[in-house]
Amino acid sequence: MRSNAPGSAFTRRGFLQSGLLAAGAMALPAVLAGCSQSAGKTGQKGALNVWWWGEQEAAGMKGWMNSTVAAYNKSGRDKLGQVKAVLQQSDTLYTAFRTAAAAKTGPDIQYFWGGTQALEDVWAGRVAPLDGALPKSLIERVPKDSRRETYWDGHQWGLPFYELNTAFAYNKKMFERAGLDPENPPTTWDDFIAALAALKKSGVTPFGAGFKDAYLGGWLVSYFGQQEFDSVEDAIAPFRGDVEYSGEKYFGWLDRVKELIDKGYFNDDVLSLDLYQGQQLFETGKAAITNSAQPQIVGFERELGSDTVGVMLAPVWGTGKLAKSFPGASQVLTMTSFSHKEDRSAKFLEYIREPAMMKAMYDACGAIAPDSKFDNAWLTSNTDKRMAELKTQMPSFWFQYYYPFPFENNGVTPAVQQLFQPGGTIAAGQKMLTDSISKWKKQQASEVRAYKKWELLK
Amino acid sequence: MTATATERTSSRAEVRRPGRRNPAPYLFILPAVLVLALVFGYPLLTVIWDSFSVPQLLGTSSFGLDNYATVLTDPLFLKSLLNNLRLFLAVPILTIVAVPVAALLFERVRGWRIYQSIAFVPYVIAIPVVGIVFSYVLQRNGVLNDALHALRLDALVHDWLGDSGTAIWSVLFVIVWQQLGFGIVLFVARLSSLENSLIEAALLDRANWWQRFWNILIPHLATTIEFFFTLSLINMLSWVFNYVFVMTGGGPAQSTNVLEMLLYTYAFRDGLPNLAAALSVIVLLISLVLLAIQAAIRRRVERLEN
Repeated sequence: MRSNAPGSAFTRRGFLQSGLLAAGAMALPAVLAGCSQSAGKTGQKGALNVWWWGEQEAAGMKGWMNSTVAAYNKSGRDKLGQVKAVLQQSDTLYTAFRTAAAAKTGPDIQYFWGGTQALEDVWAGRVAPLDGALPKSLIERVPKDSRRETYWDGHQWGLPFYELNTAFAYNKKMFERAGLDPENPPTTWDDFIAALAALKKSGVTPFGAGFKDAYLGGWLVSYFGQQEFDSVEDAIAPFRGDVEYSGEKYFGWLDRVKELIDKGYFNDDVLSLDLYQGQQLFETGKAAITNSAQPQIVGFERELGSDTVGVMLAPVWGTGKLAKSFPGASQVLTMTSFSHKEDRSAKFLEYIREPAMMKAMYDACGAIAPDSKFDNAWLTSNTDKRMAELKTQMPSFWFQYYYPFPFENNGVTPAVQQLFQPGGTIAAGQKMLTDSISKWKKQQASEVRAYKKWELLK
Repeated sequence: MTATATERTSSRAEVRRPGRRNPAPYLFILPAVLVLALVFGYPLLTVIWDSFSVPQLLGTSSFGLDNYATVLTDPLFLKSLLNNLRLFLAVPILTIVAVPVAALLFERVRGWRIYQSIAFVPYVIAIPVVGIVFSYVLQRNGVLNDALHALRLDALVHDWLGDSGTAIWSVLFVIVWQQLGFGIVLFVARLSSLENSLIEAALLDRANWWQRFWNILIPHLATTIEFFFTLSLINMLSWVFNYVFVMTGGGPAQSTNVLEMLLYTYAFRDGLPNLAAALSVIVLLISLVLLAIQAAIRRRVERLEN
């Protein structure tokens, strides 16, 4: 009745005003949340949220993380709240974090794949620097090659969590049947080609791989694309705009991949299989060699026996100082820029780097913490021992963690995929690589500026 | 007095200012409006806003048309759009196959219920499942090539998904295989509303199957065909991501990239959500153009019929 009274009629204007009022009320929590950002970076009570990943490539890590968190919570080291660790899915590792970060309500500690795949979020302002929060001594325990991947603008942004070393697994018995020395796999390009020819002649597929899901490209360019580099500077120079991505230095690896394809050393269905399906060809005895992450090679060793599975590095074709480098990289943990629990996050990160925790992590899932306090005497498998030995002989470098990801997505992957097709050419591949860099520079001007600011850790 | 009161009421109604309304209907629809605003309106406005926002270093941003210019000049945009246009070919194929099949089923051929169920089964299978199954069927050492080997048709053996020349057509084939059932069921449902007397009269006039099909069934299905055609076109533009993502991932060498895949790439692979937002708006605009064309055609048809 009241609404029918003169002067109180329900008008469109009134309707709109009510709507605006409702919208204002809905926006209030967001405004209040925004105001709360002005609070300090430390000392906030409540759960310390850790969003992590790793079970997918180091099976058993979930059990370690759960028991570590339980032990930490029980120890009472954090008086302000409990740690809550949430395992993320591969597909949503980045999207979930970025969505949460946009609302500034996400994790306090966030896991990233290393190098530029973490720095992208640093450049977007979602990550806080570690130096100042973590003790300098802890950061300096991490090998420089690992730290360098997430060191930018004079700050350390990621704490290398565990190593993600990659290598070639080879079948010693197939090597022997092909007349090759199973204990001394090829180390140079020419020897590698000769070995593949012998394997092919013996009736097996020399190299098992899958490229439908696009991951293989990043691995190939990281195995072969850095072999004319003299320093890590060479890896980022084309993206800073210092040099053109061209010539043998940057394109030479395409010729080597093309040679492998043309000589029929890969399985004939590379483009039909995903990365893991390609690796399964090795596991099921259908291929003599495959590329894989270290924990997976350890898995092959456990499954097929150390008398069958050997581990070797990619053969050397180039003459650069990084031609003979250890394919080592690290996944990282970071502290988020919107967290108000920096001190508590630091405490937890220190805890997981205690020697007992690092050993427990290795025992649970084979993941090796890049830390001088990690004792190589803890290593149990031949693969891990051999990789540790190789690592001491050369610098660690993984090209994939220094280039912007769109370069791989729009350049490396299509460039190599077209090589696998009839009529695929090196010239077309080269064009795809340079076009992808031009496109990235055009689309991601802010990242180009970040590259220009990138002073590598010496 | 009654007449005067009625006149007065009527007169008041006539002069009532347009802004003054009974609030009850608005209040009734308010919850629905709020839900729609929250579920559709807010995300849409956010996407449009984001499409104009250009991120700068360390979380800052500027505002402008740069994202649209970047998307429209990206060679992959054109390549993806062309692939969507190639997939548009599925629409006439679906229509041309589904309509006669529906007509046959409508004629109650022996076992028509079973045929109808069989035709509809692919449609109820989840797209990722279909994609994975056909990945195994169409891969280099897959079921199809094994069958061709067994039939001594080795000349036809091909890496259907691994060759950029055939990959998009393989995807199109799978889409047709799965979506056909929907068209058939839709047309059969429409035909079931047809007056039996029309068919009976045609039979009395000794009209053959083709004459009945062309002169009775097709006109009766005209609006449904138009609806199905437009809906399928929009689907080929904005609903094929699952097929492409599962079967080819956009490869090999980006040969099966479609607009949705590019959108996904911008947003989740390249970390460019603002470009993804601009592309979303572009796809929305193309869909609206298609709807506008459909509406225009319908108006023209209605005018001609009248």
